[in-house]
Amino acid sequence: MIEDWRPALVERLLHAVNDAGAWGYRTGSNGSAEPTALAALALATTGNASKRVAGALEWLARLQRDDGAVPISAEAEHPQWPTTLALLAWLRCTPPGAEIRAARIGKALSWVLHARGRKTPPDYAIHDHDSTLVGWSWVARTHSWIEPTAYALLALRAADQADHPRVREGVELILDRALPEGGWNYGNRRVLEHVLRPFPATTGVALAALAGEPREARIDVAIEYLVKELPRIRAPLSLAWGLIGLRAWDARPPEARTWLEACARRLIEQPASPQYDALLLLAGADTCPLIKTPGVQTDD
Amino acid sequence: MTDAHPTPDKTNVGGKFSRRQLLGIGGIFALGWGLAGTAMWWRRHERGRRADVFIGKAAGYDADLVSLVSAGLEELGVTRRQIQGKRVLLKPNLVETALGQAHINTHPALVVAAAEVFRRLDAAEVFVAEGQGHRRDSWLVLDESGMGRALAEAGLKFVDLNHDDVEPVANVGTWTDLEHLYLPKTLRSVDILVSMPKLKTHHWAGVTCAMKNLFGVMPGVVYGWPKNVLHWSGIPNSILDINATVRPTLAIVDGIVGMDGDGPIMGNPKPVGAVIIGTNLTAVDATCVRVMDLNPLGVPYLTQASGRLGPIHERNISQLGESIARLRTRFEVLDLPHLANVRRT
Repeated sequence: MIEDWRPALVERLLHAVNDAGAWGYRTGSNGSAEPTALAALALATTGNASKRVAGALEWLARLQRDDGAVPISAEAEHPQWPTTLALLAWLRCTPPGAEIRAARIGKALSWVLHARGRKTPPDYAIHDHDSTLVGWSWVARTHSWIEPTAYALLALRAADQADHPRVREGVELILDRALPEGGWNYGNRRVLEHVLRPFPATTGVALAALAGEPREARIDVAIEYLVKELPRIRAPLSLAWGLIGLRAWDARPPEARTWLEACARRLIEQPASPQYDALLLLAGADTCPLIKTPGVQTDD
Repeated sequence: MTDAHPTPDKTNVGGKFSRRQLLGIGGIFALGWGLAGTAMWWRRHERGRRADVFIGKAAGYDADLVSLVSAGLEELGVTRRQIQGKRVLLKPNLVETALGQAHINTHPALVVAAAEVFRRLDAAEVFVAEGQGHRRDSWLVLDESGMGRALAEAGLKFVDLNHDDVEPVANVGTWTDLEHLYLPKTLRSVDILVSMPKLKTHHWAGVTCAMKNLFGVMPGVVYGWPKNVLHWSGIPNSILDINATVRPTLAIVDGIVGMDGDGPIMGNPKPVGAVIIGTNLTAVDATCVRVMDLNPLGVPYLTQASGRLGPIHERNISQLGESIARLRTRFEVLDLPHLANVRRT
């Protein structure tokens, strides 16, 4: 059944690439780092699109600045949060020994390790998370949030940096921001009087980033939240990240294949959306290169 | 230059003034008085800015909203000629969704009704776009809000502004220190931008209506989720910069059921039964605040916008349609020091 939709999405991705070898968020839009990195990772799982994958990696390399940062696109020098995704793509998809590999990865790794979300003084009247913990932000000089921090952890784990102090602090930050009833919001736990709502996508990406950490109650309730939420969700971003997060903890329900197929069929009715197409392919892949789990193929 | 041999000013001895000096001093006073008076007039009349705002009454979302919006535009003097052949972008508020919490976001029925009105006025294209502030997943937001189904049934396209191509535009407002604003290219390609917010209180800005709703045109890939940069730059100042730079054309506010208390996402449903429409968003927001029985002069972004982006004083706003008094509904505001002035005293 899976085979029915995967080739169709692969075809869409292959057709959506622009002349420069990159993907935009929509067909016909300018190349952007995030969809290009995700497309490379997704196509790499198919094993038969090496030319496109190599083209994507090269495009990301051309986008990279001297300091190692990869901005969102050639049109905007800032922000540079997609550096983590580009690093992940280079680590997972570049053939070993490729000439440019070490230099681009080294610079990106250095940038990621130096990028720091902004600390704020604790103010328990406003929020109750530990705002002095440092993770990664969407934009320089702003606070750390779940999604960019999780991307950084995924990239740093792929770079065998799981024991780096920045990774340890990032893990602590993500766990600190977990909602009491399970899951993660974009990054706050409470604002003023109210505990915030969990979101499936951020919960999935947080669980993926925590893969390999000791299992504990905050992870258990997050898994419970996703298992309860995902059956009704057919939105590609949330479903894909939700399932990737569950897979990271070996908690993917058997019905996931049906959900993915229903979501893919829905997606295919719409114009190509490389970010979503790639994420669904990654969520449905036999081995997901976003997370390091036993059996994941790595070439580093 | 200093005079080498100054002439003693005998007239000042004993505090007496010559006739000539008295005339001079009087002239200065008169000039000062005149300037002060002019400044007061200028301020009182908000630099000569005036605006019309229409208030329509709708008991619920099953009311004839097409007729209501149509009547509002007609009263405001919006003509077919102004709409004909134009590309119209409707920008609802879809900041975040939660099942059973429809009062967070602009109701789909009003968006579809507005689209129908613009279509009847021969707009070349009408579509809906949003760059929601909290939830990155547009598909989920469209699913959970019911907006996706409504748009599909009405044949309306949705554009995700969070993931649009972007271009830097000089910051016209300069209330923040942001030199440029990165705007979605889609936004730059439309002729008419309609802000379609929900009538809500806001725990930082006091209220969120037509002007604050434009945070949602700022692409998340550039500004993050929530739009971090704008929060760090100051919410009121960011609201002003965005509005000064983007220059929206029109506002149609969903005040049929609003939100009070801990808005913009955790507050309570507040039925008002109002749809507020206007071409000047500052005046629309000031009117919205009055409908909420709150104090526009206590909302920092409105006091800053006064005279520069539009009028906020009742004397400079012509109310059309229903009166404010008829629909005024007390909105609760969180008991926080920075919101003290928002409450009407």
